[in-house]
Amino acid sequence: MRFKKRFSISGFIVLAIVGITLSAPLLSPYDPYGIDVGEPFLGPSWTHLMGTDDLGRDLFSRILYGGRITVLIAIAATIVALVIGTLWGMVAGVQRGWVDEILMRTADATMAIPQILFALVCVSAVGSSVISLPIIVGLLLSPTTARMARTAVVVELASDYVVAARATGLKKSRLIMTEVLPNIAPQLLVQLSINAAAAVMMEASLSFIGLGIQPPDASWGTLMLQGYGNLWNTNWYVFFPALVVTVTILAFNSYGERIRVSLDSRKSST
Amino acid sequence: MSTELKVIASASGISRIFRGGSNEVRALDDVSFSLYEGKTLALVGESGSGKTTAARILLGLDTPSAGSVEILGQTLGTLKHEELRLLRRQIQVVQQDPFSQLNRRHSVQRIIEGPLLAFNVGDKESRKKKVIELLEAVGLEKEHLRRRPHELSGGQCQRVAIARALALDPKIVVLDEAVSALDVSVRAQVLNLLRKLQQERGLTYFFITHDLGVAHYVADEIAVMFRGRIVERGTREDVFENSKHHYTIGLLASVPLANPQAVKSNNEQVQTLPSPAEGDACLYRTRCAVGMDRLDCKSTTLTLTKGTATHSWLCHSPQGS
Amino acid sequence: MKNSLIVKNLSISVPSAKGRVAVVDNVSFEIPAGKKIGMVGESGSGKSLTAYALMRLIKDPVSIDGGEIFLDGREILGLSSKEFRLLRGNEISMIYQDPMSALNPIMRVGQQIIESIQLHSPVSKSVARKTAIDLLASVGIPEPESRIDSYPFEMSGGMLQRSVIAIALSGEPKVLIADEATTALDVTTQDRVLTLIDKLAAERGLSVLLITHDLGVAAQFSDDIMVMYAGKLVENGSVDQIFSNPAHPYTKALLDSRCDYTIDVNKPIRSIAGQPPRPDNRPNGCVFSPRCAHAEPRCSVSVPPLTSSQGRLTACFRADELFQVGAVN
Repeated sequence: MRFKKRFSISGFIVLAIVGITLSAPLLSPYDPYGIDVGEPFLGPSWTHLMGTDDLGRDLFSRILYGGRITVLIAIAATIVALVIGTLWGMVAGVQRGWVDEILMRTADATMAIPQILFALVCVSAVGSSVISLPIIVGLLLSPTTARMARTAVVVELASDYVVAARATGLKKSRLIMTEVLPNIAPQLLVQLSINAAAAVMMEASLSFIGLGIQPPDASWGTLMLQGYGNLWNTNWYVFFPALVVTVTILAFNSYGERIRVSLDSRKSST
Repeated sequence: MSTELKVIASASGISRIFRGGSNEVRALDDVSFSLYEGKTLALVGESGSGKTTAARILLGLDTPSAGSVEILGQTLGTLKHEELRLLRRQIQVVQQDPFSQLNRRHSVQRIIEGPLLAFNVGDKESRKKKVIELLEAVGLEKEHLRRRPHELSGGQCQRVAIARALALDPKIVVLDEAVSALDVSVRAQVLNLLRKLQQERGLTYFFITHDLGVAHYVADEIAVMFRGRIVERGTREDVFENSKHHYTIGLLASVPLANPQAVKSNNEQVQTLPSPAEGDACLYRTRCAVGMDRLDCKSTTLTLTKGTATHSWLCHSPQGS
Repeated sequence: MKNSLIVKNLSISVPSAKGRVAVVDNVSFEIPAGKKIGMVGESGSGKSLTAYALMRLIKDPVSIDGGEIFLDGREILGLSSKEFRLLRGNEISMIYQDPMSALNPIMRVGQQIIESIQLHSPVSKSVARKTAIDLLASVGIPEPESRIDSYPFEMSGGMLQRSVIAIALSGEPKVLIADEATTALDVTTQDRVLTLIDKLAAERGLSVLLITHDLGVAAQFSDDIMVMYAGKLVENGSVDQIFSNPAHPYTKALLDSRCDYTIDVNKPIRSIAGQPPRPDNRPNGCVFSPRCAHAEPRCSVSVPPLTSSQGRLTACFRADELFQVGAVN
């Protein structure tokens, strides 16, 4: 019943995007690296749904494969952000005192630095790969997650049922795991969704300025960069990657918003 | 209290001072009380009188700034972490808000089972048996097991909270405004239930309430609190029929009775809003019709007057003197 | 006597899984000018929604399904919101349980009273300020000249409720609705605030509708009492009739289940079994019949109308019969 309430168009689109991109090898009509599948710069047609690129590669296939990379990086980054951010925030919220101060001031300081600048420094330090990118993006997203997790934990710890559980003699670690965590999980889910949108955005931005995934592999950001470079002779080349990035970000954001609203309404109805 | 009664817990001279910047709030100021086995002590007072702080200290959720608390022969504060945890088995709590004191994501079964899980009592089967037994003891049905708090009424939630409090067979139950949020008819049911459970299980109740009627009904001994101090203490008859402290008298006169013929006793409290008094002398003096202009009320530190074996008060000029 | 407020067949509904269900069901009553009426009921009885309807504060998804409300002879449910805005505050005012809901937390209390005064009458700011100080003094706030510049957070609960009363009275209304206005206050503060409302009502000839779950508050304050149960008005009579000689079994049971310091502590309280029905699960016939000790088969078939019995209005088939044998008093 609760699941039904959460089902929405945005949720469906999120699922569809993740499903389709992850099954790219099954769905792609052409080899994304095959330079002999068609003429360069062909416009969209029934044989090449999104046309072909400067080397004659099928753009639709490249977007599917690129999406797989982007979505995988986004998922990995989101998980990194969730794990680090939740731990970070929970430790601060549970310990309070000077531990809280240090952890939260660190979060504030990190959030004050422009993310893209931070990412630039990191990428130039460790290079960009499918391993380093999720970690860098995930690290970048973790302070906001930490902030949210801390607030949620502090609110929960002050609630009556926690007092009851503590009075019961429940151990603190168990209290956090069995009583508090299930209650902040929905809020974490909201953050997860917002983080996913931000991760797609960040990966695309990094690739767009050439610091992301390197050719011949392509992510949506790389494809946008290539399309942008060929803007003078095609317009669909940049249009399609930009479109999928926009739709994905919107879908993740509105899905998060939807969960948040349904949580708020449930809270106010009791 | 007669001497053959066994003291099961006691607080002696506890104070709790909260400091915020330059402000200092004495939530509790040299408060002493004892809980006797199988009996009920009601702590009565208005908001900010310190009664909830006293409950938190007894539950080990807060530490007094001064004074000591002894529960079942063990002194809080000297205990190791694990010893305190084991002691907590013996002292459980039911709070005011029927809904928020239950974890909204857990089922009734899981909620009542919680304390048993916390102490790894029994196996799955025996725990379930215990939960059903508790459920029946508080007047709920097996069909409620799978429900979640929001599917229950306020009275039912309060029964679940009581069942949870009894899960570990504690000696003492702290009832922190446990019936205050309930409707009249449901409150009566829960009060009757609490009384029945006390008789059946020999429970000791520490009943925190702002409602004099509830205190009158449940308590063997009543302590009236005013701004962190117990200003009067005694049996039901002492406090209600032979009140000595003017605050108690004012409090009683303020309670509206559901009887239009009840002639309101002369309410001695000052009708305008007086500024609160500070210091070690009587804190009620600015609201007290008797003590307002008396010099000793303003300047002399109060000491507890023991009128009878059961009745004591903290007042320079008690009623009838 | 002239009635300042007449409510006829008011029905209010909310959406539920079973479609729209009535939370206030065909309620009618009158408030004579200058009278203090207490409306008592447990949570979910529909008493607060009735008050909200009087202030036209019912908002989607709750809706008024029918009925008429006459304020000083004028039907108000049919008025445009612009027309009603002229009446709100001038003719009818309301105070709530939580004074903070009626105050702007970041605005000085005095400023809020002044604005309210200027909203209702075209006076200069300095005149309004003087009126505001007088109002604060009349609601018993000490040193009103300096308190007028306080912010809400600088005031205690009792003082805030007094300030809200001052705002409610700033338009010199004829009807004052107090919705659980003293519930959140300590008893000693409650006593003072009730005494204050009582005094102001007498001075200004106000009609007061006091909505409360506290039987004691209603008994001490009101001239007449209305008893609500599960969306129905079940009994309406003078304060003596209701509290000394109730005719409806619910009124009787409610009085029996109270716990004040005058009851016999050696016996269990006579509580009502079960709990009030939820709006989407109201029983057939008399809404109280499943919990009623005197219910007969007909009680669960048809709805007893609110009729005159024993000198007051009661919605019970057996009211006269039970009253005579002394079953309910």
